[in-house]
Amino acid sequence: MGRPLVHRSPMPGLGLSMGITLTMLSLVVLLPIGALLLKGASYGIEGIWETVNRERVWAALFLSFRLSLFAAVFNLIFGVLLAWVLVRYRFPGRRILDASVDLPFALPTAVAGIALTALYAPNGAFGSLAASIGWKIAYSQWGILLALVFVGLPFVTRTVQPVVEEIEREVEEASATLGATRLHTLRHVIAPMLAPAALTGFALALARAVGEYGSVIFIAGNIPLVTEIAPLLIVIQLEEFNYDAAAAIGIAMLLISFAMLLVINLIQVWSRRRIGYV
Amino acid sequence: MHIEIDEIAKTFGTTAALHPVSLSLPSGALVALLGPSGSGKTTLLRILGGLEFPTSGRVLFDGQDATGLSVQERRAGFVFQSYALFRHMTVFDNIAYGLNARPRASRPNKVEVARRVTRLLDLIQLPDIGARYPSQLSGGQRQRVALARALAIEPRMLLLDEPFGALDAKVRKELRQGLRDIHDETGLTTVFVTHDQDEAMELADLVVVMSGSQSGGRIEQIGKPQDIRSKPASAFVREFIAA
Amino acid sequence: MSDIAQVRFRSATEETPLARRALIAVAVLGLGILVAAPLIVVFAEALAQGWAAAVASLGNRDALSAIRLTLTIAGISVPLTAGFGIAAAWFITKFDFRGKAFLITLIDLPFSVSPVVAGLCIVLMFGTNSLVGGWLVASGYPIVFALPGIVLATMFVTFPFVARELIPVMIEQGRAEEEAALTLGASGWRVFWTVTLPNIRWALLYGVLLCNARAMGEFGAVAVVSGKIRGQTATMPITIEMFYNEYLSVAAFSLAAVLTLLALVTLLLKTALEIRHADQLAALHP
Repeated sequence: MGRPLVHRSPMPGLGLSMGITLTMLSLVVLLPIGALLLKGASYGIEGIWETVNRERVWAALFLSFRLSLFAAVFNLIFGVLLAWVLVRYRFPGRRILDASVDLPFALPTAVAGIALTALYAPNGAFGSLAASIGWKIAYSQWGILLALVFVGLPFVTRTVQPVVEEIEREVEEASATLGATRLHTLRHVIAPMLAPAALTGFALALARAVGEYGSVIFIAGNIPLVTEIAPLLIVIQLEEFNYDAAAAIGIAMLLISFAMLLVINLIQVWSRRRIGYV
Repeated sequence: MHIEIDEIAKTFGTTAALHPVSLSLPSGALVALLGPSGSGKTTLLRILGGLEFPTSGRVLFDGQDATGLSVQERRAGFVFQSYALFRHMTVFDNIAYGLNARPRASRPNKVEVARRVTRLLDLIQLPDIGARYPSQLSGGQRQRVALARALAIEPRMLLLDEPFGALDAKVRKELRQGLRDIHDETGLTTVFVTHDQDEAMELADLVVVMSGSQSGGRIEQIGKPQDIRSKPASAFVREFIAA
Repeated sequence: MSDIAQVRFRSATEETPLARRALIAVAVLGLGILVAAPLIVVFAEALAQGWAAAVASLGNRDALSAIRLTLTIAGISVPLTAGFGIAAAWFITKFDFRGKAFLITLIDLPFSVSPVVAGLCIVLMFGTNSLVGGWLVASGYPIVFALPGIVLATMFVTFPFVARELIPVMIEQGRAEEEAALTLGASGWRVFWTVTLPNIRWALLYGVLLCNARAMGEFGAVAVVSGKIRGQTATMPITIEMFYNEYLSVAAFSLAAVLTLLALVTLLLKTALEIRHADQLAALHP
């Protein structure tokens, strides 16, 4: 016996809410993504490969992915630390600190881009300091890394924070009564509890960083093969009306996004199985 | 109102909730649907109230087919297990909700609404709580407000899902009598769901014992409390009321 | 007086005071460098030549038209996205159907797609080279390099915001109150306006707030679909880029300061909502 697609219910508004949801989802998200995939299908895997398999494209994709990974790792460590400090400690200014974590979500990326550039350019406040020891931040890969750290900052903190709140003190106390040092408890009791949420946040920060454009292009310098990120390459191709190349790189990036989405979902399934919550 | 349940069955997806059951509830009776969890008693109550559609079978109110009646048309006073009071409205507005929801032609005016709400607050013996919000009430008070809200629409029947489930033992005893009194005063056909056999035996005129199984809930026995106690119809009933 | 009073008892669930202070210091320093410093720089650069210059630069024709355009886009896209969010949350939480988890994944999809790729998708779908786009342009309704395209791109990137906030809240609140209203004779719309909406209003406001901040600040997707036509399709973020590339630092940062103020107000309201209506927000009940 087949299960009905929609379970009959006296709740009103089925047709209307389903209609709006599916129509808008299709029009705004699914059809445009479909258009990209269709374009990709029209030149086949070989066609895409030919476009992507060029030094400049590889360099951009590799750069985007590598720096995003570094930024996400930094955010993983700093984010867990922040979550812990914000939940467990009481100190003046905690509320402001907590609210400021969300600023990278709220601040337009272009604003973040020019602000970071102004700060870290060789004549900027921090940039001149760095320059005095021969460290070039803006217009180098360091600058890109900095921008990616900025945009990915909130993810890990915001996924880990609620989990820290949920930890029962008794578990820590139990560990202590069994003779464990505080550090041992943190490593062997707390860290495994935070791991799934932290990994989810890590993956979200990574996904965001790989696709980031606005905050990076101002500070990057955008030199082909050195500081040119993948999204910028798409924009350049589009500005030259080279739609085929843009689409090919776009599909490569879309596939990376899908793969990361899959990983995020797998982490959540795994964590739900293991400890019963995400 | 006389309620007739004719071969009602219900499946959710691939799981069976109710085996076809038939039941006749005389007008004005106070009926308990008694059974363990998974016996389909709440599902049956929700089908009566129009909150769930049966997969097959019919419901008849006073001999007329009511299976296709919408939940609004049923006019069943329904008391939810969690009471489902509107938390952003005062007690007064909660009770008045059904009156204000009527089509303009049959909607009572403000004075009349206030008069009826006041009368209902008196009926549940909480005359002074109209201005309070649900979160400011005790569990027992909430239950009585939910009852008053259901009565406000001048229902054709009263349906209660585990009405005493969320209350402690002492309050439970008091409110049992309260429900009995309200039933006797209004004369409404009243059906309540419970898993507590004492509650069913003490309060109801007619007890319907239900059991659950892979093929869905089914009715084990229908009878007056004393008959069920003295002549259990199956091993299940014997064990269940002995527990 | 005994010496015992001198020994401070440290609970088993605390770090040493030194470790505590060190961790707080790292947190404050990190956020100071990463978040506070850029914030200060925006205002410092905007006011580098004084208030008058900053205010005057906002009166510039291009700046004014950018502000108008950004407000228009947010005014169209945010209500549409909110409407979608409410409908989707109603559909997902009030009904049982197959493929619900998949539908939620699809709604969340824009979060994991690069804004530039989102813009590219819309260009490929509605650009002059495409079937649909070619026909629309021929009939006098261009999408790409025009307002509708920017609205679509904005909606793409902000699509999940409201739905994502409402769905967990409505799951937690359950269906009982709506069912109670139905048994009391209320119509579907009446149930929505008098029972559901009051229960989700703060969560809705929260979602709209975040959606609006993102809509007004979106850069990557808009950069691709707008064509960056000065005075016509250049939004505030795009105009900031133009000014910046033309070395009009004060103008760029003044416009940026306006958007930064918007971000700060958003955070302030968001924090206020979190303090006052924590019980009704999904973000705090994962």
